[in-house]
Amino acid sequence: MRNLDPRRIVWMKVRIAVLAVLLFSAGGAVAHRAYQLQIQQGVDLRKLAEDQYLRDIRLAPKRGTIFDRRGAPLAVSVDVDSVWANPRELRSLGGDPMANALALARVLPGVDAESLARKMASDRYFVWLQRRITPQQAAAVHALALPGVSMSREARRYYPNRDLAAHVLGFADIDGLGIEGIERQYETQLRGSVSAVPAIRDRRGRVVFSEQLLDDRAAQGDDLVLTIDKAIQVVAENELALAVRTSEARAGSVVVMDPQTGELLALANYPTFNPNDPSNATAMARRNRAVTDRYEPGSTIKTFTVAGALAAGAIAPEQLIDCEHGAMRVAEYTIHDSHPWDILTPALILARSSNIGTAKIGAALGRPGLFRTLRRFGFGELTGITLPGETAGILRNYRRWYDMDAATIAFGQGVSVTTMQLAVAMSAIANGGQLMEPILVRSVRDGRGEVVEETLPRVRRQVVPAGTARLVGDMLTAVTGPGGTGVEAAIDGYLVAGKTGTAQKADYVAGGYAADQWIASFVGFVPADHPRLVIAVMIDEPVIEHYGGLVAGPVFRRVGEAALRHLGVPATDGGQILALRAAATRDAALRSRQETELARTACREARREGHACVEPAPVAADLPATPIDDLTPAEGETRVPEVGGRTARAALVALAAAGLVGELEGSGVVASQAPASGEFVPRGQRVRLVLAPRALAGDEPPPPAGPNQDDRTLATAVDVLPTHARVPQ
Amino acid sequence: MSRLFDGLRAMRDRVLRRPPAEASAAPVGPRAPVLGPADPLLMATVLALVAFGVVMVYSASAVFAAQTFHDGQHFLVRQTMYAVVGLLLVVSLARLDYHLLRPLAYPMLGGSVLLLLYIAVGFGHSAGGAARWISVGPIHVQPAEIAKVAMIFWLAYSLSKKADRIRSFSVGFLPHALVAGFVMLLCLRQPDFGSAVMIALLTFVLLFTAGARTGYILGAALLFAPIAYVLVTRSEYRMRRMQAYLDPFAHRFDVGYQISESLMSFGSGGLWGVGIGDSRQKLFFLPEAHTDFISAIVGEELGFIGILALMIAFSIIIVRGLRAAFRAADDYGTYLAVGITLFIGIQAFTNLAVTMGLLPTKGLALPFLSFGGSSLLVNCAAIGVLLNVSRARPSVAVTTQATDGDEKRDVAPRTGSRRPSAAVGGTS
Repeated sequence: MRNLDPRRIVWMKVRIAVLAVLLFSAGGAVAHRAYQLQIQQGVDLRKLAEDQYLRDIRLAPKRGTIFDRRGAPLAVSVDVDSVWANPRELRSLGGDPMANALALARVLPGVDAESLARKMASDRYFVWLQRRITPQQAAAVHALALPGVSMSREARRYYPNRDLAAHVLGFADIDGLGIEGIERQYETQLRGSVSAVPAIRDRRGRVVFSEQLLDDRAAQGDDLVLTIDKAIQVVAENELALAVRTSEARAGSVVVMDPQTGELLALANYPTFNPNDPSNATAMARRNRAVTDRYEPGSTIKTFTVAGALAAGAIAPEQLIDCEHGAMRVAEYTIHDSHPWDILTPALILARSSNIGTAKIGAALGRPGLFRTLRRFGFGELTGITLPGETAGILRNYRRWYDMDAATIAFGQGVSVTTMQLAVAMSAIANGGQLMEPILVRSVRDGRGEVVEETLPRVRRQVVPAGTARLVGDMLTAVTGPGGTGVEAAIDGYLVAGKTGTAQKADYVAGGYAADQWIASFVGFVPADHPRLVIAVMIDEPVIEHYGGLVAGPVFRRVGEAALRHLGVPATDGGQILALRAAATRDAALRSRQETELARTACREARREGHACVEPAPVAADLPATPIDDLTPAEGETRVPEVGGRTARAALVALAAAGLVGELEGSGVVASQAPASGEFVPRGQRVRLVLAPRALAGDEPPPPAGPNQDDRTLATAVDVLPTHARVPQ
Repeated sequence: MSRLFDGLRAMRDRVLRRPPAEASAAPVGPRAPVLGPADPLLMATVLALVAFGVVMVYSASAVFAAQTFHDGQHFLVRQTMYAVVGLLLVVSLARLDYHLLRPLAYPMLGGSVLLLLYIAVGFGHSAGGAARWISVGPIHVQPAEIAKVAMIFWLAYSLSKKADRIRSFSVGFLPHALVAGFVMLLCLRQPDFGSAVMIALLTFVLLFTAGARTGYILGAALLFAPIAYVLVTRSEYRMRRMQAYLDPFAHRFDVGYQISESLMSFGSGGLWGVGIGDSRQKLFFLPEAHTDFISAIVGEELGFIGILALMIAFSIIIVRGLRAAFRAADDYGTYLAVGITLFIGIQAFTNLAVTMGLLPTKGLALPFLSFGGSSLLVNCAAIGVLLNVSRARPSVAVTTQATDGDEKRDVAPRTGSRRPSAAVGGTS
């Protein structure tokens, strides 16, 4: 403006200044407004804003995993895709429901295009189209990129071991709601907190961000660690199934328990079902009969009658009891023994399973005493196991007993129990008289892996003094000794205490007992001197053979053998066990000789009075001579087997049998192993196996394999036969 | 410190392609007046605002872009391209002598009127209920933006030509008012009320600066007011905007939605803001978050402090722009500087006032920050011209009455060591 005359310049500057003042006044107003909005009303406005983007969203937390005691997953939740549509969005995007439906029906087998089209034509914001599809189908749906069609992740419950421990686990429905078993009992823990979590959403309502969601473990359901040992459970189920099928029985149960803690190591029922597909299983197959079914136990209960009588001092341990030669009248009924016995000690009454002897012991105890004894052993009350549908069995109050009941309840008729109760009661004999509460869930861990709940052993009561329990336990070893009813349950190298049971089933139609329907059972513990396992076996209506010792005994033996090996229980200091066993056998032989003498005397007297009597043959006491391995590992240790030259699978099997875990590297046959064979190592240790193709093995180190090739290696190695190629250890 | 300044000066010289001071012994020709440097503070502020704008456009638009175009950087990429072109425009126009624009005053005015007519006839693309765009290939041109700058150039040219006769009604006031009215009419035809008001304001401002009688201006304003009132009340959407302006939260879920969300954005920011990139309101709650309402996102993410900083930046532009107007070599330069400065300043403060609910909503971008090529390029071009005006130069003998005092005070200390540069190309 310097070209203008100075006076005009001055005025122009004044006018520009006026404009500047006006403009900055406006700026000042704006700044003041900003102060008002952001500082003075900021909090209120912020609240308004938060109201629209903060939304509490309901979470469907990931259901907790169920593990066995060693961490093997038994029930897991896997995220799978579910397809849904927003029909409104579909319409606003101009999509055609029918075209969508046809496209979807092409990639999703088994869905009806018409019904899909109907769903997508509805006037809604959300409609499920197909839930829980396979990853391949999900990829196909994603590739279609149909308007208004979306997918979200849903959890599906999956039982990787199929029917393993099916009755313990139970199952969950499509919405992840526990219906049976642990799934039902621990629903609240497994489901997790379904609480609402604040999240930020956009205007379209989609969750954009949530600080709490980032740590989704917080909302996740708790994991359960069961006391079940998968390895023992497998054996229990297999052996039970085998026994039920070979004896053509209707059903059966096995309970394996740690008597010191009450922890259940296995709980098997047959028939069983696949919890992945529960709708295809019959109600009978789904029943957890070890817990929900009661039956008259028969002779197994004699153990507890005798224990009660000894504890109460009603009988002396060496008292001689006249067994009436197989028949005794009580009220208007006659009680029979399977074999006619005359004079027996309590130990022999148990070993021979004399009904008459037990009835007399029960009588010596008295009705209230007998009732209280059995009740204190847990009969007629719930064991407290955390599974749905447990029954307490029936043990009527002694005031309502008939005369006959007082006698028969002592040997297991007129009382009904569950297999679980028998196992728990036998645990009390095994652990020195303490009635434990059975434990199925060892610990509950939250999503971060922290233990929220740990189940500690719970003693309900001291049922009998420890001495009495030990005494009865000793007596029970005779059952599996020579001449006992349970020789089939004897385990080589271990002292087994137990009791057989062969009960006639009550005939609820005709009254009385059915002549040809039996329940065969065996319940016992091992090793008898330091019990680690209580195993109760029940076989319902065996046809081929019905004696408890013959039908249930072998199940006890095989499950016991495998479980003891798996747990690394040494054959009680090698020879000592055999010495104990020999002593027990000698005692039994001695006693039976004395009894034979007594019986002969009685017989002679009887004959003198003109009665017929068959003299019992003298009992021969023979000692089984078992070779003792002087390289017996200490407790918890095991010997590494020689696996060189074997195929991957054969080597893994051999290691598993020794309680070891194999780690494979390479493919072919085993070229070297570490640690070497013959070494004593802790159980569960990993043994590294280097595999090499047969030609290479022994010549040069095998080529290193990728870390994830184990499966393939195993698959290819399966059919490779062991060869000459053995590498020096 | 002085070394630092030397370095900065060297850098600036390089940016402006000016040879070092020693090489400035070239002869001085009549068409090559001795020029000082463009205002570095103004230049730096604009550069900072453009860069900040790119960042804020990305922050505000990423979610929307990802949703709409499946590419979160859709707007970022475009705004960056516009910014590069815009800054090239700033630099090149800063080196182009503004006097070369004088002969372009009528062609530019005519061209923009033609473009506006082209739209008025019914071509062009509509956005937000108004047809404002002409697409030339992939580029969308907003003629109203060009028309505003064309008006400034034309008014500056015309007012400087009329000189003292400005105070007369028939020569000084009426022609300008008529041209402005015609352009405004074309804007209203779109309809683009905001641009019409902007043109009216710019016309008044420049008439006032040039010394037109205040009575005429006030009279015109009084005449314009009832027209505006009728226009507002007879147009349903303008009426609704007015209601929304008067009580945004009462109409929170219909007409007041956008302004309510904008106010909530500012409020959410508080003093320090929620942090850059952390705006919640941009999650589809606040419409046009990356264009006209980008200041609301600035307010939310950077808080009151951020808004103050933004206003200080614009204040620097205004102060330095008016300083350039004070020091301009001739009245044409003064008018250009005042027009451009007020153009930027009014846009900025009006945009902020609108987003804060002080003024009714109208489609007005925040200069340098809002997404949009037309607005950014036009503003950059205007700033380029302003920068050129800010360069110290001796009085140009277009008209007489130059005084030596001014020249000595303002120009002499700076021109001595400068090499004259050819006005157009900058031959060096």
